[in-house]
Amino acid sequence: MARSTSHFFDEVLGERAGVKKELANIHDLAWDVVDKELLSMCKLRVAMILGCDKEVASARQYLDPSKAEAIMQWASSNIFTDEEKSCLRFTEEFIIDVSSIPDASAVAVREHLGEEGFVTFVNALLVVEQRIRLLLVWSKLVGNTDT
Amino acid sequence: MRTQRVESSSFNALFREALSRWQEEVVQLDLVDPVTTEMVRLRCAEHHDCHT
Repeated sequence: MARSTSHFFDEVLGERAGVKKELANIHDLAWDVVDKELLSMCKLRVAMILGCDKEVASARQYLDPSKAEAIMQWASSNIFTDEEKSCLRFTEEFIIDVSSIPDASAVAVREHLGEEGFVTFVNALLVVEQRIRLLLVWSKLVGNTDT
Repeated sequence: MRTQRVESSSFNALFREALSRWQEEVVQLDLVDPVTTEMVRLRCAEHHDCHT
């Protein structure tokens, strides 16, 4: 049976209890403060771009299967709402080059989520991205092929 | 030169505090030497346009 990402992180962090606890805490809170379907959709796109099959599978299980299947064509698909499209656009730009996100992309997300919602979303996205990157890097370092 | 678009601290307090605690725990790790840690921190801050 494949280990969960949380279990894998616990093993890698070992005796570093403080980091382990806070890493788990920010992950849990990220999913509490942002709409789970929206964040799952963005997580799926992050995992696809970074090539993390394990987290692709994890994100898919909380999504409408038709949206999960169509996610690579979100820009031209009519099954995604304008809010979802704005967040997916921002997510892709965030992952590919965080220093070059156009103002228009940020403004679009802010228009849908509000100012506080926008800042919360960006921080949750950071947590999701960081977790997937850590999983990929740590897996290579310890020889885990379950990613 | 980019301008700050929104106030970066204006979001869920519990989440904000948890992120701060996470960062505090990370910077206390000592397996990487201080000079390398600071170089990486500065590079990341510049890339993320973070002035803190």
